Amino acid sequence: MLCDNARSGGQGPQSWRAPRRARWQISLEGAVRGSPILQGELLYVPSLAGFLNAINIRGGRLQWKFKASAAIHSTPSLGFGRLLFGCDDGKVIAIDAASGTKSWEVVSDDEVWTSPVVHDESVFFGSADGNMYAVRAETGSLQWKQMLGGRIYSTGHATKGRIYVGCGDGNIYGLDAASGQVLWKTATGNGIDCSPALANDTVFIGSQDFVFYALDAHSGTVRWRYEAELGITSAPAISGDLIIFGCKAGTLHALHIRTGKMIWKSRIGQTVTAPPVISGSVAWIQAGFTFAVDLSDGRVLWKANLGNSVQSAPVVTKDAVYLAGMEGEIYALE
Amino acid sequence: MDRRAFVKRSCLGGLALSLDHWGTSPAFGQDLIPPVPPIHVSEPVGTQVSPLRMPGLYPGRVVEISDARSIVANRVSQAAVGEMLEQGMRELTGERDLRQAWSKFIQPQDLVGIKINPSGAPACCSSPEIVREIVAGVQSAGIPARNIFVYDRYAYEMDIGSYQALVPKGVRVTGVQEHKLDASGYDPNIFCEANFFGEWETRSYMANIVASGVTKIINVPTMKDHSAAGVTGCLKNLGYGTFNNVDRSHRRPFSFTDPLIGIMCSVEPLRSKAVLHIMDGTRMVWHGGPLTQNQDFIFPSGLILVGTDPVAMDTIELERIETKRSKEGAPSVWSRDPQSLTNDGAAFYQDATKNLYYRQPHHIAAAGKLGLGVSDRKLIEHKVIHIA
Repeated sequence: MLCDNARSGGQGPQSWRAPRRARWQISLEGAVRGSPILQGELLYVPSLAGFLNAINIRGGRLQWKFKASAAIHSTPSLGFGRLLFGCDDGKVIAIDAASGTKSWEVVSDDEVWTSPVVHDESVFFGSADGNMYAVRAETGSLQWKQMLGGRIYSTGHATKGRIYVGCGDGNIYGLDAASGQVLWKTATGNGIDCSPALANDTVFIGSQDFVFYALDAHSGTVRWRYEAELGITSAPAISGDLIIFGCKAGTLHALHIRTGKMIWKSRIGQTVTAPPVISGSVAWIQAGFTFAVDLSDGRVLWKANLGNSVQSAPVVTKDAVYLAGMEGEIYALE
Repeated sequence: MDRRAFVKRSCLGGLALSLDHWGTSPAFGQDLIPPVPPIHVSEPVGTQVSPLRMPGLYPGRVVEISDARSIVANRVSQAAVGEMLEQGMRELTGERDLRQAWSKFIQPQDLVGIKINPSGAPACCSSPEIVREIVAGVQSAGIPARNIFVYDRYAYEMDIGSYQALVPKGVRVTGVQEHKLDASGYDPNIFCEANFFGEWETRSYMANIVASGVTKIINVPTMKDHSAAGVTGCLKNLGYGTFNNVDRSHRRPFSFTDPLIGIMCSVEPLRSKAVLHIMDGTRMVWHGGPLTQNQDFIFPSGLILVGTDPVAMDTIELERIETKRSKEGAPSVWSRDPQSLTNDGAAFYQDATKNLYYRQPHHIAAAGKLGLGVSDRKLIEHKVIHIA
């Protein structure tokens, strides 16, 4: 899930300019499934070879890389000056964002593809072992864990007092952030690997039952639902009254956030599983090609055949777009 | 050091397998298709040949279960496919007790691989709903979740199908390779070797998870047309989903999927480990396979086929797809009309009269000649169960 700027591609409103050339390109060791994130001059990119790579964006050179004990599918998060990410051997690791030195690690019983979420003094993450975990951000010591009904590949959304997360058992859960207690759960028609967004006390999330849901954040009651053509893995992005997400049928959908009424729908690729990233008046998304789509009507403004990724999300800044290809190529476009 | 011993065998260029093409394949008679080159196989010596090895416990038997409720509005019904699979397993084995039915194929000490077909995801791939029912069946025979592996060659295709999130807790979900050129998940000693078109790499290696990982395999293909092989079913999902570097066997408009698919399925230990085949025909791709996302060519057929004989099952699948193509006005998969060929992939995906290759559905009968099963329709015991 890439809705907040600390973990995501959306670096704030930028005026639209189509990229014209690659400023640099670098090939990493191993394929890439997670998304890059940017802080200062360092672009952090996880790889399935088990490296967390820090690339200096000035010249596109690798500044350092941290070797984890297993592949990294998880998109990293930033908090307390640290990078946090999950690994396929069940670990969540925190490393110093500047130097790449390990601070702590915590182990779950199955792979962690989700992004750890930093909120207040805690880090929350879900594991394929079916547990949501809360650990102290400073030390990694366990605060609580809560077993849910299925595997967790949905990155939780943390707010003051609450965690919202989708689960492979088809339920959307609202948990108490202090204890992990299940406050409510709402069933959908199939498993969930989409990550939720939150706005106006409403939780937004898609399911493999082809339906996109808007739920009351306090009770889990369904406020509206919208039916897409196939399953929804792509996490939504929000801009004003619009909520945007991709569908596996290869379409991008823009709905009115209060009513669920479709504003536009745009066909962009064979399949869409990655989250869109909104920057100003444009939504960026990787769906085989990389696309820039006009937020007002869904028109494709620009596209490029770069990297074939359907899972990663670009980082959009004032003067460049950074994106990862499926086989480990990283591009800086300007 | 690898202490296993390996032996090479030659498959006479597949020529012997291809001899009876003359009656059914005009293109051979017209010299449109080049001769099959020699194919060599390297496989382990002294592999313990399983009594369950293909064609398995029930040669020639295919159980077809249909239920229109199994797919509604393009969604697969968990409850319906569960009932279909139960009936199919009972009918195949003659066991009333489901646990006994599953126990004919797997024992508690087994490491069980479930070979799915995610190519074509998300529009048509092995349904997670059916995979979940298979997992439950395997567990009923005493296999813990951690000893069940849902796998395929391409991890990224499995990701698109969301299998990781959708299977029960504890089950391992494994892709053999993370990208096209990743060969680290393959056994360098077990391979099929042939030079089809002057390609640089002439070997295709067996995946480690098959060679030395799991002890039993349940094959879960989908029911699909295939632009090069004619159809992709049990045999192709197993052969081309186990060995790497297989798309070199076809170069437009020619394809050596016949006989390579059957030869790959005959290699040990794959042949011994593949003990059960459950074909997901809830959706049928009647044109544009294996990768089409065009819903115009995907029919909600609401079928599941169950058997141990991949040749017999693919023969029935071929019949079903031919019938549907005929009904839709598409040419037969046996057609060798050069006018139907196109180099335009987009045209192929939009027009059911077009194809990229001369399809090779004869690969099924060729596999039969290798002893993998029964392709003679008259000898196939085809049991049909209509639930609704």
